[in-house]
Amino acid sequence: MAWAWRFWLRLQTLFRRDQIVHRLDDEIQFHLDQQISENIAAGMSLEEARYTAQRTFGNPTFLKEKTRDTWGWRWLENLYEDLRYGLRMLCKSPGFTATAVLSLALGIGANTASCSWMDALMLRWLPVRDPQNLVLLHIQSDFSFSYPIVRALAEQRDIFEGVAGFSGWVFNADSRGSIVAVQGTVATGGYYETLGLNPTVGRLLTEEDDQLGAPLVAVISYGYWERQFARDTGVVGHTFRLNGVPVEIVGVSPRGFEGSNVGSIADITMAVAAVPRVDPSSASLVGAGNFWLRVLARPKTGVPIAEAKARLASVWPAIAERTIPADWPADRRKAMADATFEFAAGGTGHTHLREVFWKPLVVLMAVVALVLLIACANVANLLLARATTRQREIAVRLAIGAGRGRILRQLLTESVLLSLIGAIFGIGLAWVSSRFLVAILSSGSMQVVFDLTPNWHVIGFTSTVAIGTGILFGLAPAFQATAAGPSSMLKENAGMSSFRSRLLSSLVSTQVALSLLLVIGAGLFVRTLQNLKNLDPGFKREGVLLVNLEGRRIGVPKDLLDALQSVPGVISASVSTHTPLNGSTWSEPAVPKGQVIPERDNAYFIGAGPGFFETLRTPLLSGREFTERDSANDPAVAVINEAYARRYFPNQNPVGQQLSAFVRGEREDLEIVGLVSNSKLAGLRAAPPPTVYVSYFQLTGNFPTTLDIRASGSLPQVAAAIQKELQPKLPDAPVEVRAFSEQVNAAMVQERMMATLASGFGALALMLACLGLYGLLDYTVARRTKEMGIRMALGARPGRLIRMVVRGAAQLVVLGIALGLPAAWAASQWVKSMLFGLTPADPATIAGSALLLAIAALLAAYVPARRAAKVDPMVALRWE
Amino acid sequence: MGKPSDLVQGTLDLLILKTVSLEPKHGWAIAKRIQQVSGEVLQVQQGSLYPALHRLEQKAWIKAKWKETETGRQAKFYSLTAAGRGQLEKEAANWSRLSEAINLVVETT
Repeated sequence: MAWAWRFWLRLQTLFRRDQIVHRLDDEIQFHLDQQISENIAAGMSLEEARYTAQRTFGNPTFLKEKTRDTWGWRWLENLYEDLRYGLRMLCKSPGFTATAVLSLALGIGANTASCSWMDALMLRWLPVRDPQNLVLLHIQSDFSFSYPIVRALAEQRDIFEGVAGFSGWVFNADSRGSIVAVQGTVATGGYYETLGLNPTVGRLLTEEDDQLGAPLVAVISYGYWERQFARDTGVVGHTFRLNGVPVEIVGVSPRGFEGSNVGSIADITMAVAAVPRVDPSSASLVGAGNFWLRVLARPKTGVPIAEAKARLASVWPAIAERTIPADWPADRRKAMADATFEFAAGGTGHTHLREVFWKPLVVLMAVVALVLLIACANVANLLLARATTRQREIAVRLAIGAGRGRILRQLLTESVLLSLIGAIFGIGLAWVSSRFLVAILSSGSMQVVFDLTPNWHVIGFTSTVAIGTGILFGLAPAFQATAAGPSSMLKENAGMSSFRSRLLSSLVSTQVALSLLLVIGAGLFVRTLQNLKNLDPGFKREGVLLVNLEGRRIGVPKDLLDALQSVPGVISASVSTHTPLNGSTWSEPAVPKGQVIPERDNAYFIGAGPGFFETLRTPLLSGREFTERDSANDPAVAVINEAYARRYFPNQNPVGQQLSAFVRGEREDLEIVGLVSNSKLAGLRAAPPPTVYVSYFQLTGNFPTTLDIRASGSLPQVAAAIQKELQPKLPDAPVEVRAFSEQVNAAMVQERMMATLASGFGALALMLACLGLYGLLDYTVARRTKEMGIRMALGARPGRLIRMVVRGAAQLVVLGIALGLPAAWAASQWVKSMLFGLTPADPATIAGSALLLAIAALLAAYVPARRAAKVDPMVALRWE
Repeated sequence: MGKPSDLVQGTLDLLILKTVSLEPKHGWAIAKRIQQVSGEVLQVQQGSLYPALHRLEQKAWIKAKWKETETGRQAKFYSLTAAGRGQLEKEAANWSRLSEAINLVVETT
């Protein structure tokens, strides 16, 4: 009971403090009055009685303070006082506060934004049961497996509690009369069980749904349920049309779960076995030859990872025997059967964005850390300069008995307060800039969805950074301010210690060095992007529109092409299986007739219709394009590119020669009818691959299909006209007309992101460094007003004074550049792989950056220098 | 009578607990009582009583109540709690052991 009472008393002293303080006054007053009356009774005068009472009592203020100490919470009281005092000091110099807060907000905001990115992309657990136990299966760097393999793995109940194969998918769903493309997932039957999820309403998919011939059912996400069905529980049993096929909704997945592909939202989930019926063109995906499913597995409870791996290794050869396609070459079959599975941590789901953006994000983290350092140096600078003006205040406080520790704590409270205010603005800034980043990433066809709402990871990170920086930049100035004893400081005009001015200048030089690093980085990334943009990819992207027909098959397009030709503004129209840089490629083995066809694919293939090269403006070097006559009943023909010709027909004219190839597993002989120049197909950085174009209308089976259209005039208008023309002919799915240039830009998304961010941060760093230099010189000039006045009075010309100040600045800048250059050299080696068309030590970039920095710094120095020159000697000498 | 002795370190608590164990008293009365009973030998600096009183109150060994005195003024009266009684016994026992030991040393010749 005593402890409860004690706790109650502690609470009283915290929350009813004012009242208790008041009562203590009463108590002591009562004591004194009591003593006074006794003294009067003993015969003293009133005056004497009062004096004696106070003497026997002691110093009431001191004793009251000691009494308050016994109540605890002393630290809180001190903190409150320090904060109040700190806020008053910050409000007293709004210019200083605004500059410092702005610097910190930019630095901390940049860090928060990149941290929330890191968190969303890399660190966040999927909202599933025990995500830390999930593993992502892979064989070396290959994370894709075929449907039969996943099903066979799911049967291994003594290894895995559950195995889930899944892949992103797009469904064309009927929605209030129109057809909308909806992002989704196709998954094996064990998906929800493995993840350990429970339905919001209805049920989730089970193994029974993942059987050929099972009723077509789908699970929708909570978000989709909310948006499309207003959270109507009657949705269970409701039938909607996907790709024109009726599908029954059986349940809603739990709130917050948006699929296992980080960065995209899965609103509709169906079983893999249902795919052939919803999308007949993808029927082959359930076969053994397609490796397309990511596999998340949950090892059996109590089975250690090593044991699970060993068990899997022992059963794998038998599984491989059953599940690897029989028509694979023997050595490929053997390699697959001999492979060992590895387990990667799976609790954070999967995203290809991780591989693409891992390095850029790490670079980004380093960059924003540097920006923060520069901001800190700026604030430390400001604080140091201000400490001089506060010297007298601090000296007085030391003289009247404040401990050094107490004053240190006060100064640190102020700097942490400053950085916390900066952090609050920074979080706001991060919020805005994160959305900007998502916009850059989503510029391509790929929709990127991230929940960037600051969570506990991010808030924790930001406050740690804020408090850390507050202490970091506050410590040196605080020590400085309290180092000397009160007596020396109280003397008039003690001036600035040489240590302090050295510290100030070295901070500015460091800032210059760090910002040079960032400016050079920005230069390298901007030039990389430019090099990629100016590169000749082998086709002209401007003026080309694409319509991706995905699900709609070969055979249809001939009528569509005719219809397209009549749309106003269309110059030419063609059809192809792939377009350059569309994100997927097709490869086959092909060699000159007479040679042995290799087992490995050696050429990229594209099925192209008549007018394809004319539409993309890919130069035809000799021979002819595909024409209307190259259709199914005509002799098989091919067009090859220069790279292929150089490798297989060196020093010959390939036109008229024959090729032997396997096209979709069938052996074919093709006559080469044309030679075209090289095109970049899979990426702008890679050398153009050897490519064989085959006639689209001679292909059999299912192929992806894209309509390629060259248009003149306003592209959006032509696109709208095309959409209007095609949509009635293709009722099953939305017709989307996109610009080819967007697709090409999407191939540069990483470079664009780096260039944008690096130049943004480079500019920021430059600005902060200039601000730091300006602040230092402004302060120096103000301090030396008297000296300047004397110089002027003795006949120095204004120009001379300007030169004097600027020379001082130039020394700092040159020192900074000298420090920054080797650092920049070292850092740029590290991003070498991200550059294109230039070396890390690109002389033009480095020289340009150093020059830019020098000019900006001298501009920043010029303003205070002008002020020095305008000093009126009379005013200066009368100062003080 | 010589100069009033300073209190032996740590004995103020014991004196306060003992003084309020008989009946509730306010601060001034506690000071007076200690002085009187000790025959003016123990001179507590009156003000230093208050930090001690508040510390003991926070430890829940004594509790306080505002009541009217005979003269009609409000004063804070302290009294011993059950936990305080236990503490008093412990400290009193400690004290007698200590003083006996000191006596033994001082008086053995």
